[in-house]
Amino acid sequence: MPVIDYKCPNCGSSMMFDSATGALSCPSCGRQDNIEQLPDPLKKQVFTENEVQQYHCPSCGADIVTEPETSATTCSFCGSAVVLGDRLVGDLAPDTVIPFAISKAQAEEAFRKWCRNGLLTPAGFMSADRIKSMTGIYVPFWLYELHNLVEVYGKATRVRSYTQGDYQYTETQHYDVYRKLRLDYVNLPLDASEKMNDELMDKLEPFPYEQLKEFKTPYLAGYIAEKYSYDDEQLVPRAKEKTQPYIDSSVSQSLSGYSSVSYTDKQVDTTVRRADYALLPVWLVNYDFKQKNYMFAMNGQTGKVVGKPPLSKGKITAWFAGITAAALLGMKFISWALGGDFL
Amino acid sequence: MRSYRIPLFMMAMVLLLGLALPMVTHTAAAATSAAESKKLIYDQANLLRPQEEEALTRLARQYAPERQTDFIIYTTNNPEGRDVVKMTEDLYDRKAFGYNQPYGNAVILTMDMYNREIYLAGFGKAEQELNDSRLDKIRNKITPDLAVGNYGIAFEKYIQLSYDYMGYKFGTTPDNLLFQFWFQLLVAAAIGGIIVWIMAYRSGGVITVSRATYEDSSVSGVLDSYDNYTHTTVSKRKIEKSSSSGGGGGTSSGGHSHSGSRGSF
Ligand SMILES: [Zn+2]
Ligand SMILES: [Zn+2]
Repeated sequence: MPVIDYKCPNCGSSMMFDSATGALSCPSCGRQDNIEQLPDPLKKQVFTENEVQQYHCPSCGADIVTEPETSATTCSFCGSAVVLGDRLVGDLAPDTVIPFAISKAQAEEAFRKWCRNGLLTPAGFMSADRIKSMTGIYVPFWLYELHNLVEVYGKATRVRSYTQGDYQYTETQHYDVYRKLRLDYVNLPLDASEKMNDELMDKLEPFPYEQLKEFKTPYLAGYIAEKYSYDDEQLVPRAKEKTQPYIDSSVSQSLSGYSSVSYTDKQVDTTVRRADYALLPVWLVNYDFKQKNYMFAMNGQTGKVVGKPPLSKGKITAWFAGITAAALLGMKFISWALGGDFL
Repeated sequence: MRSYRIPLFMMAMVLLLGLALPMVTHTAAAATSAAESKKLIYDQANLLRPQEEEALTRLARQYAPERQTDFIIYTTNNPEGRDVVKMTEDLYDRKAFGYNQPYGNAVILTMDMYNREIYLAGFGKAEQELNDSRLDKIRNKITPDLAVGNYGIAFEKYIQLSYDYMGYKFGTTPDNLLFQFWFQLLVAAAIGGIIVWIMAYRSGGVITVSRATYEDSSVSGVLDSYDNYTHTTVSKRKIEKSSSSGGGGGTSSGGHSHSGSRGSF
């Protein structure tokens, strides 16, 4: 039986994760169970891999239609929260999870507020009344701990300028420089879902890591969860790519004080110390505007919204004209202060 | 429509301020003119008709209080062939020009009709506010009129330009790009374009994490380094002296220093 559901021991209703209390709660009788003390039903089960082709809802018996990546969903017939246990064990068992802190209602309100604050978005979009769907998804991430040993060799100069008599002298001191740095990054997140847009997920950061919890399936009750499409080794190149600018900035900071630096040799030795499989909370908003579909994502803990909204040509023009007029006034004021005519 | 209000409001403010500010600045110009009878134009070479001389005197008197400066015109046939700079200095020493005080602020234009030379000099605070390079600019602008004998027009321009240039601060002159409308508009449009571009760029959300977010600062840092000095190179460049073609200023025998610009017409 790979499908797990959460029946209320009091009344038999399907229990859901409550983002306000962080407990598994029953919408019918109000029972609240502390998840951290709850025995995870997943731990007691043994599955043989790829055994199951079809899932059935434990409550109503209907077929559960899912995509191959989905590991938690709700039954489309009776609405019970169901977790597909065989997609969360073995290599697919998450290490940690950050539960949702923002409920669907709060997420919707936060999204509407964000739409209203769009300075360049069309008026019709700001009313935010065309939300097609609002889905709470636990997105699979790898949290890397990367240890870097960086060695750079280079030539640096310090330039001094002074005048003597009728001549301006420029004195350049040349140095051979070397830096060896240790740069360790912890909990560097990279989204491991093929479906999710990488750029969008990067902008959702930071996730509050103090909310990281040991993974237990009841956190998923009532939400969609996905399993990773890329394993921890496949994403190492992207992790290195992500830390590249961090390393570059640390190196150049260690060489500040020089007028110019050119590297003759630069070596970065990266060791992946660990990669934790974590599920992080994201609200996905599908929005319909003028027959076009827009996708937005919201950090399920911080409420940060990302995604490209439509832009209004009229508002862009109005802002451009307004700022240009204000800047022109500023220029006029400067010219007047310097003795020029105002008009 | 609510969202259109902010930029429209800004434009309305700009228009209002644009109308109000020049009025404020020009009320100061209506100050009293002192020394009504003071002689400012010494037309010994008889280059001007009486009406022209009258008009120029009126203009010089009108501007004098605002700049606290005497605007002097001196023309001479110079039969002894004296030096134009010396004549200017001697005139200042002899007449003790200066608005409301002897040996005060004055700008003098001297026309030497014998050598066909012109000299512009700034005394007092005009030595700074009308320095050599500014006087050069003024002289270059009036020389074409002098060359064809339009003395009245040239002298009027001289008073007008001297007055204007004394109002410009921090070494700017009216020729500065900063005072050209097309340049002001270009800069303003560039500012508007950049800000709106940033607004559009940020509308989709921006990355708010940096290397500090994920760096383990307890162990990260520089482990080893060296900075070995190898050698020094020196290059030198001759400093360009700002050359004043007209000869520049000096000090009169009476001990009064001044700026100046000399040229022929
Ligand atoms: Zn119950
Ligand atoms: Zn069901």
